[in-house]
Amino acid sequence: MPVVTLYWDELEKLVGVDRDMILSKLPMLGCDIERVEEDHIDVEFFPNRPDLYSVEGVARALRGFLGIETGYKEYEVKQADWKIIVDESVSEVRPRICGCVVRGLEITDEVIRSLMEVQEDLHWTIGRNRRKMAIGVHDLSVLEFPLRYTTVDSSFSFVPLDFDEEMSIAEIFEKHPKGKEYSFILEKAERYPIILDANGEVVSFPPIINANRTRLTEKTSDVFIDVTGFDKNVDRALNILATMLADRGGVVEGVEVIYPDHVEQTPDLSPTRMSVDREEIDALMGFSLSEGEIISSLEKMRFGVNAREGYFEVLIPPYRADIMHPWDVIEDIAIGYGYDRIKPDYPRTATIGRAHSWNEVREIVKEVMIGLGYLEVITFTLTSERIQYDAMRRERPEPWEGYVPVMHPLTEEHTIVRTDILPKLLEVLSVNTHHPLPQRIFEVGDVVVSMKNILRLAACSTHSRANFAEIRSLVQAIMREFDVEWEVKESDDGAFIEGRRADVVVEGKKVGVFGEIHPEVLENFGIPTPVVGFELDLSELFDVGGVI
Amino acid sequence: MLSPVEITLIKALERGKYSVDEAAKKAGMKRDAVLKAAHLLQEKGYAEVVTELRRRYFLTEEGRRYLKEGLPEERLTKLLEEGVENIDALKELMGKAEFGIGLGWLRKKGAVNIDGGRLRLVKKPVFEEKEWLKAVEEGKELEEDKIRQLMKRKLVDFDENKDIYVVIKEVPKAELKAYVADLTPEIIKSGEWKGREFLKYDITIPSKDVFAAKVHPYERIIRECRKIFLEMGFTEIKGNYVQPSFWNFDALFQPQDHPARDMQDTFYLDRYVDLKEEFEKGYVERVKETHENGWITGSTGWGGKWDVNRARQLVLRTHTTAITIHYLAQNPEPPVKAFCIDRVYRRETIDATHLPEFDQLEGVVLDRNVGFRHLLGLLKEFFAKMGFEDVRFRPGYFPYTEPSVEPEVYVEGLGWVELGGAGVFRKEVTEPLGIKGRVLAWGLGIGRLAMLRLGMKDLRRLYLPDIGWLRKIPAIRR
Repeated sequence: MPVVTLYWDELEKLVGVDRDMILSKLPMLGCDIERVEEDHIDVEFFPNRPDLYSVEGVARALRGFLGIETGYKEYEVKQADWKIIVDESVSEVRPRICGCVVRGLEITDEVIRSLMEVQEDLHWTIGRNRRKMAIGVHDLSVLEFPLRYTTVDSSFSFVPLDFDEEMSIAEIFEKHPKGKEYSFILEKAERYPIILDANGEVVSFPPIINANRTRLTEKTSDVFIDVTGFDKNVDRALNILATMLADRGGVVEGVEVIYPDHVEQTPDLSPTRMSVDREEIDALMGFSLSEGEIISSLEKMRFGVNAREGYFEVLIPPYRADIMHPWDVIEDIAIGYGYDRIKPDYPRTATIGRAHSWNEVREIVKEVMIGLGYLEVITFTLTSERIQYDAMRRERPEPWEGYVPVMHPLTEEHTIVRTDILPKLLEVLSVNTHHPLPQRIFEVGDVVVSMKNILRLAACSTHSRANFAEIRSLVQAIMREFDVEWEVKESDDGAFIEGRRADVVVEGKKVGVFGEIHPEVLENFGIPTPVVGFELDLSELFDVGGVI
Repeated sequence: MLSPVEITLIKALERGKYSVDEAAKKAGMKRDAVLKAAHLLQEKGYAEVVTELRRRYFLTEEGRRYLKEGLPEERLTKLLEEGVENIDALKELMGKAEFGIGLGWLRKKGAVNIDGGRLRLVKKPVFEEKEWLKAVEEGKELEEDKIRQLMKRKLVDFDENKDIYVVIKEVPKAELKAYVADLTPEIIKSGEWKGREFLKYDITIPSKDVFAAKVHPYERIIRECRKIFLEMGFTEIKGNYVQPSFWNFDALFQPQDHPARDMQDTFYLDRYVDLKEEFEKGYVERVKETHENGWITGSTGWGGKWDVNRARQLVLRTHTTAITIHYLAQNPEPPVKAFCIDRVYRRETIDATHLPEFDQLEGVVLDRNVGFRHLLGLLKEFFAKMGFEDVRFRPGYFPYTEPSVEPEVYVEGLGWVELGGAGVFRKEVTEPLGIKGRVLAWGLGIGRLAMLRLGMKDLRRLYLPDIGWLRKIPAIRR
């Protein structure tokens, strides 16, 4: 989630209250304050509120929330003669474009910083790392309208931002930092999107890089913003930027986008209307609010509202990208009303508690193991073929039928989900060789075989005299407590010493194994003392209940 | 009663310190028996077995040779006294190296001067070092600075040995046989103890440590949470770690291009399932409609195309909500109260507070006449049962709940601490699955609780247990 840096002097000036007031109220609007410094705060806003990624947006919301300036705020788009002509060829690669002009800005370092920050955050969130949406901001004075949005091939060249010589598109992908970072978006493209001005000069190569000549300077007062992409997120981003700059005192002028088959006026800063049922509000809140409370809550959250018979007509500001459903509005009613003012009420839903047998079996098994002097441990279920099979002198089973391999593991130690617990216990012993012996440990938990969870119990004991008799006694005791008739069969499990290993067989089926761990296995794990151990399949022995 | 060996030993000795050999000689016992008896006496406070490191000095090969042949400076002096003064000749006779050593020491003592290739003795030097070497050879005591000098010349070296001593602290005055020491089956059977006093042990001496077998502290927290849920009337549910993306993401209205679905954060499996049951029940079609256009939920949907193939791919579940939502789909009629405490996975690099797998707790209530206020009521009650009396609520964001809330609890010494998240399941989630009523849901990471409860700073310790830590951490705290 994006962390936005807000400078106190600007924030206090734009909101009109002091920092203590802001600090106390801001979290109740929906954010996490990460850091409070002398000159700024870092605030993490939620990904559903991209309109709060700038100091202007935060100030607008806070002024409403604090009751300084409430209700819907109108934004005007002046008609002008700015045009973008869209070539058919872009439909293959990046079909949507919109734009606006903002005039009369005082471009200070603060404005540039805020613009760059909001741009980055929007790219990352609603732009999905520029894939779905990318923004360019340009100095209007160097552009000759109408612009053309078209495509070129990879040999096409221009001077990209932060460079002073021409580079072809192929070279930008290879050499320009932004080209390298974002070339994946156009990986499959045959032709590349480009915005040219009336003189054929490059404005931008979306979503990668602007032309160097259009960069903002201290002398800039009028800007042109382009947003390209695929869907309505393009319009949302433009609305957020246009309203933010309008709050800075800029005058927004519309741009006409001429597609081969239709024409659009952008940006559209008129509100969206949504009907929200009075009953729905009460039901979702769980209590009844008065009409006045609903209206004032909505206005604090900067919505426009008209009370109608049984419902409210809500005007949604153009910068709000998150309102998909009336419940989204109701959440804002709750926030505007104040979460701290809502009286919690325990629901009267009457049901009977019921434990799952999986965990009930685990609890009883733990009781038995602890009674037998074994210490409970828990371990990761992520592990590797090397630990689970190779180090155990066991053959690797088939993937999927046996174990589950993960795609793109982060480390060599975590490539599969465990099918056995015993190797995990040996790992525990291997990192505990400096603690006094004897060490007796167990784990009762899940393994995944054939993509399904199975409940297992494993235990091991290590000290200088650990031997087969000890582990057989243990298995005997456990099976006595489990009330299970069982027999042993000679085992062929390579993890144990031949002649000192046994399969546990119940009703003709192998349900476990025990014995003296093979010294080669001990060597693999770096354990200097003899170890005896067992593993039992509890899913075979008990009804462990249904698993979703 | 002291055992026969103890009596034999203690009778032979008085208060004082004895080497094992000495004690063995006096008591006429074997060394092993002396040690055994001494340890037994130690338990009763009459004796102490102490181990002392002892240095033994010995001559190096060079030291032995000098002792036999004389120190180089001594030999040089002798040659000078015999009239050999030419340096080259002296070198020839003594060897270049030893001549050098000898000359060096004589000059140090101010016994010679060099005059045009000749060496002259100006005073008669004294050679105490030879006496010192002799003393070392014979095992006699030597002052420390002398030893140091010899060691510096590499004429003496040492090794270290452990010497065991028996220190008799007290010889029981009364007739030894009158006391009962070890109470044996024989003594009980014979009634021999009657009318006799019991030997008093020194109860202040700590015995050897033994360690309790016990439940893992983390599992104890899970057990406590389960108990709370069961007391509150919730049904426990259990699900597989491997789940189709459909239940982990799509059924929860997570858009298919959502960053949380990136390979970056999720352990995907290279395996696709047919979603047969999900198709048959109509879930797939309705979820698709809801994602694309909102279906009849009143939502706009995410727009774009929803691809069933992405929903087919298996993942290691990233939250237990994959299980609760599926359970609610199977049990869509209110009232339902269910909970799940189980392992979830995130593709995250391990550090002190981020683990690739951890346990999550989640509770859901499905009912018709419940709303946001009741969710807050549930949270307040649940946290109070966990021992967090002060709870407050802030707005939160989760993709499948609306409204969403981040509860905070007050912890002494830490202040307000965020603990989990909660919300009401969106209609885009419940309606396509035919769930009737509203679903109040909340969840939290057990690791977070463990940090608050056990004061842990590093969560890695939970899953790669340090047996020393487990042995040390108390089962209960007052």
